[in-house]
Amino acid sequence: MIEIKDLHKSYKMGSNSLHVLKGINFKVEEGELVAIMGSSGSGKSTLLNILGMLDGADSGEYTLDGVPIKNLSETKAAQYRNKFLGFIFQSFNLINYKSALENVALPLYYQKVPRKERQEKAMQYLDRVGLKPWATHHPSELSGGQKQRVAIARAMAAEPKVLLADEPTGALDSKTSYEVMDLIQKINDEGNTILVVTHEEDIAHMCKRIVHLKDGVIVEDKKIEQVRAGQYV
Amino acid sequence: MFDRDVWQEIFNTIKTNKLRTFLTGFSVGWAIFILVMLLASVNGMQNGFTNQFNDDATNSIFVRPGTTSKAYGGFEAGRRIQLKNDDLEYIKKSFPDDVEYISARYYANATARYKSETGSYSVQATHPDHQAIEKTLVVAGRYVNEADVINKAKVAVIGRKVAEDLFKNEDPLGQFVELNNLPFRVIGIFTDDGDDNAERRIYAPISTYQRIYGNTNDINMIALTYNPTYDLAKALEFSGRLEDLMKRRHKIDPDDQAGLYVFNYAEAFENISSFTAVLKGIGIGVGFLILVAGIVGIGNIMVFTIKERTKEIGVRKALGARPRQIVNLVLLESVFITAISGFVGLLFAWIILAALGPMFQTPAFSNPSVNLSTVVTATIILIVAGVLAGLIPAMKAANVKPIVALSDK
Repeated sequence: MIEIKDLHKSYKMGSNSLHVLKGINFKVEEGELVAIMGSSGSGKSTLLNILGMLDGADSGEYTLDGVPIKNLSETKAAQYRNKFLGFIFQSFNLINYKSALENVALPLYYQKVPRKERQEKAMQYLDRVGLKPWATHHPSELSGGQKQRVAIARAMAAEPKVLLADEPTGALDSKTSYEVMDLIQKINDEGNTILVVTHEEDIAHMCKRIVHLKDGVIVEDKKIEQVRAGQYV
Repeated sequence: MFDRDVWQEIFNTIKTNKLRTFLTGFSVGWAIFILVMLLASVNGMQNGFTNQFNDDATNSIFVRPGTTSKAYGGFEAGRRIQLKNDDLEYIKKSFPDDVEYISARYYANATARYKSETGSYSVQATHPDHQAIEKTLVVAGRYVNEADVINKAKVAVIGRKVAEDLFKNEDPLGQFVELNNLPFRVIGIFTDDGDDNAERRIYAPISTYQRIYGNTNDINMIALTYNPTYDLAKALEFSGRLEDLMKRRHKIDPDDQAGLYVFNYAEAFENISSFTAVLKGIGIGVGFLILVAGIVGIGNIMVFTIKERTKEIGVRKALGARPRQIVNLVLLESVFITAISGFVGLLFAWIILAALGPMFQTPAFSNPSVNLSTVVTATIILIVAGVLAGLIPAMKAANVKPIVALSDK
C-alpha cells in the first residue's frame, strides 16, 4: 500500500541545514496497523507529513497504492489527499461552527458528493463511531473522546486508502485514549490500513507493528502481539 | 457559488465578527455614498445647463444674414445680405440627407387685439417644421401646417401668455384675434419650456406674412435641425459645408465673419459637455480614491480573518480542499461584504437624492439624480472592488500549508 525508498529530507535553518530524514526505507501492506514511534526530533512527524503529502521529500521514492507521489501541484496534492488519505489529529481540528455531522461530511463536500448523499453517508460513519445521537451537536458540546471519534469518522468518510493518525490520543486521558484505540483497532479489523504516530508505549503496543525512528533513521521495525484496547474499556 | 455550505461559512465569519465587519463595510458604503452623491451633483449641474438650452432642439443650426465686411466677387464691403425663399429650397435640395427639419423665420411686431384687450407681441412667421426645431409644445389646437402656408391662411398660434392676456377666461381656439387690424383665426395655443417671454409670441404661416408685407419672398432667418444621428464632428462638418455653400451663393468672402452667421448649437453644447465631462471625471476620481480606502479596509479585515482561520484552512486542505476552493471562499466573502455595504450606501444616497433632489431647481443646478447607468457602474465597481480587496488575502489563504494544521504539539 505504501512504499518508501531511500527517503531524505532536510530543513534549512538559517545558514546550516538540518538533515531530518536520512534514508528511510519502509513498506506498509494493506490492512496493517503500524505505530511510528520516536522521541521528539526523531523525524516521525516529518515522515508523517511526507506520507500525508503535506510536505515534499528532497529525494527518494514514495508510492501510494501504486501511484508515484512526486512533484505534485497543490491541486493534485489536494485531490490525492482527498482520495487516498484520512487524517486524525492530536487536537482533533474539528471546525467549531459546524455540527458533528457537517464536520464528517466535509471531505465528501470536497469530493463533490451531492448534499443529501453526503449527509446520509456522514450519518452512517457517525453511527459507526457511536455518535449518531450527537450528530447535530457542535464540537464545543462534545467531550475530548467524542471529538476524536468525530474526527475519526471524518477521516473515514472519504473512504481513504490509508488513515494517518498523528498522536490521536495525545490530548486524551488514558481511559478515553483506550476507547479511541479500541475504535481504531475495530476499523483496522475491517481491513483499513492505519498509521499511528505516537510516543506512548502502551498505545504503540495496541498496533500490530512498531517502527522505531531515531535521528532520522529506522532503528527498529518489528511485528508485535497486538494488545486489544477493548479489555481496558 | 450558490452553495449552501459556502454561504454558511461566510455568514458564520460575519456573525462572529459583527463589529469588525460593520466598521469595514461602513467605509465601503460611505465611499459609494460619496461617489454617487458626487455623480448626482455633476448630473444636477448638467441638468441645470441643459435646461437653459432645451428651449431649442439641441441639433439645431441657425443661419442669419449680416452685412459684408470685405469686398468680394466684384462687390464692395458693407453690402447687406438678404435671404429669400429660394435659399431655403436651395439648402433643402443641397443637403437632403443632412437636414431633418427646416423652416424660415420672418420677424414682425404686432399689436394684437381681442375685444377690448390689446397687447404688443412679436410675431414669427414660419414653416410647419419650425415646431420641431423650436420644440414648441402645442397644448390646444394645432400648429401651422402645409395647407396654411400654401393658402396663405390668416391663422395664428398664440403663446399661453398671449391667450391669458387677451382672452382671459374665454377659449381662444376658433376666435379671431386682430394683428395690426387684420383678423387672424387662432388655431392653437403653445407653451414653451424656455421662458415666459417665449410664450408672449405668436406664430403665423410664413407665406401669409410675406404677402402682408409687400408680397416679398424675403426671410429673416433660416432655422434647421440636422440628422440627429450625427455626432459632434459630423455636425460641425455639416455646418461648415452649409456656411461655405451659403457664402458662395451670396458671393461673400469665405473669410468674412460678418456677412453670414451660421450658428450651430452643437458648438455651445460641446463646451458644456466637455465642462461637465471634466467635472464628472473629477467626481469619479475623488469617489474612486475614497473607495480605494474602503477596499484597503476590506482587504485588511480579510487578512485578519485568514490569519485567524489559518488552522482551519490547513485542516480543510488536509481534507482535500483545492486551492481554488479556498480562493473562491475568501473572494466570495469579500465580494459579499463589499456588495452588501456598497448597496446600503447606494440606497442611502438614492433615498436622499429622491427626497431632496427635486427641491433644487436653480439655473445652474437642478434635480440632481442618479440614473440607471450610474447604479450599474457602481455595482460593477463594487464587485470589482470586492474581488480586488479579497485577492491578496485569498492568495495568502490558498498558500497556507496544510502542515500548520498538524504542527500543534
